[in-house]
Amino acid sequence: MHIINPGKKLKKSIMKTIEDINKKIKKGEAVVVRADEMPDIFEEDPKKATEEVDIVTTGTFGMMCSSGAFINFGHSDPPIKMTRAWLNDVEAYTGIAAVDAYIGAAQISEEKGFEYGGGHVIEDLVAGREVNLRAEAYGTDCYPRKKARTTLTLEGVNQAMLFNPRNAYQRYNAATNSSDAVLYTYMGMLLSNKKNVNFAGCGEINPLINDPEYRTIGFGTRIFLGGAKGYVTGEGTQHNPKAGFGTISVKGNLKEMSDEFLKGATVHGYGTSLYVGIGIPIPILDEDMARRTAIRNKEINVKILDYGVQRRDRPVVREVSYEELFSGKVELDGKSARSSPLSSMKISVKIMDRLKEWIENKEFYLTKPLETLPRDTTVKTMKPRTEVPFIDDVMTKKVITAYPTDSINKVSMLIVENNIDQVPIVDEENRLVGIVTAWDLTKAIATRKRRLADIMTKKVITSRKGEYVDIVARRLGKHQVNSTPVINDEYKVIGIVTSSDINKVLGGGRR
Amino acid sequence: MNKYILKFPSEVVASPVLAETILETGTVLNILRAKVDYNEGTIVISVLGDEEKQKKVVEILTRKGVEVSKLRKGIINEEERCVDCGACISVCPAGAISFDKDGSVKIEKEKCHRCGVCIEVCPRRSLSIQEI
Repeated sequence: MHIINPGKKLKKSIMKTIEDINKKIKKGEAVVVRADEMPDIFEEDPKKATEEVDIVTTGTFGMMCSSGAFINFGHSDPPIKMTRAWLNDVEAYTGIAAVDAYIGAAQISEEKGFEYGGGHVIEDLVAGREVNLRAEAYGTDCYPRKKARTTLTLEGVNQAMLFNPRNAYQRYNAATNSSDAVLYTYMGMLLSNKKNVNFAGCGEINPLINDPEYRTIGFGTRIFLGGAKGYVTGEGTQHNPKAGFGTISVKGNLKEMSDEFLKGATVHGYGTSLYVGIGIPIPILDEDMARRTAIRNKEINVKILDYGVQRRDRPVVREVSYEELFSGKVELDGKSARSSPLSSMKISVKIMDRLKEWIENKEFYLTKPLETLPRDTTVKTMKPRTEVPFIDDVMTKKVITAYPTDSINKVSMLIVENNIDQVPIVDEENRLVGIVTAWDLTKAIATRKRRLADIMTKKVITSRKGEYVDIVARRLGKHQVNSTPVINDEYKVIGIVTSSDINKVLGGGRR
Repeated sequence: MNKYILKFPSEVVASPVLAETILETGTVLNILRAKVDYNEGTIVISVLGDEEKQKKVVEILTRKGVEVSKLRKGIINEEERCVDCGACISVCPAGAISFDKDGSVKIEKEKCHRCGVCIEVCPRRSLSIQEI
């Protein structure tokens, strides 16, 4: 048997437990630093950093969909079993019990649409403002009331718990748009032709990125949530640790929270959401944890995805570090595009400071999670029963076209003889140069114009081979046109699709 | 350089007032924003050149029936609503919005074209523009 020389092997490595750290908090001796301060401290002396730093505070403040609150309104007399309920005209889900409801951040107001939603209701409640409740019911022997209207405040309800099934993404892919139309997405406004890049997440100060192996974060971890103490309730939905995109679900008492750290949001052309402030204290148990919390923005990479392609798996334009994203400029195809975060660094820093203050004031102690977050799950996709057809399967392949030099008379004849509403105008090589509709011809007669080139629409709404019918349908609606020529990569016309062709396949019923 | 907002009443909306002004003064104008229909028009211009040239441009435009006012105010940010997320930064065509050292959103009104894109994208609805 080989005997190891203990003097040589056991070079004492630093180990701390959560209990050790809590004792230090109690004595007012715990050393707390912010996640953005840790990299320099660690780089200077890893051993010393591990020994001296007890806690690193992390923080994030961003729009987090998959947030909402459970509220119990209390019983009225006679009582009601709500089947539908609205808070300030935003519908809350009542299918859980008679007077319990869940108000979701992304639910929009029936009257104000995107300008007000569930996120705003939560902000109003937390700010102490009055909120209108309207409820309907079918009536039962035990709950005879069928309608109820009242005004309530957060103070007046029984319980209000913020319960967010998916928050605090470890990191998030950035977004750009290669198409020639402006897009309004949940990643904000994406200008055409890759002129800007929007990104989410706070990089090196993000909670999960500072403990990527989830050694200290899991069910039961006490955290900063919306200005109060809250808890991690486990992995979040779409938790994708294998790809480095972990999420958490969180819970906290809404009554203790502050509207400084919970704010409603409107994403133009997309919907509503809630800005949520989350801070997680990371205990420095050993050198591994110290090293993890010393991560810098330049070491965190994400992909820039092209939202111009409206598919689930969007093409990757390039990889980028948070350092480059935060610089305000990102290079795309040799050109410089402006970049914007969608999360607030200023408030995230405030969260890290607040958490630090709590710990230093002995108001906040660390917890050991009962179970840590899973590290081996991946995200599944939805497989709808019906496949969405491609535009190639729906379009008319034999297209009636005309040349710019053709007479208005000739095109009028084409429209009448073929019983169509529009004629794409092409050059000698069948490349699209314009489109003429029956209405254009009527206008030509009224204004006495003779040449087709003078009356055709040159900026044509086109569709491309291989696009999904749903995407083309949305484009027709957005631009209020009835048809679109389908072109290939060489801009040659290979088909034409009308809204009635699309209606035939999409139909109005269930899919 | 100064910026001016020009209001064209219906009598002058059809005449080439700006082109004439450029020819008469020999001053370079840059149109930053224009909204013109058959009835009236609003155009925002920037005028290069010294005080004297600026004065001359304003004088000629006024003589031609255009209502001229100097642009002093840009986009206004209601700071209590703003969360300094920066969603407005990348969409600004003038590059007028950036982060301050402390992470606050900062708008440089000299650069602002008053196009209003930032107002549209602001998730907190904290931005507005004061029309003159």
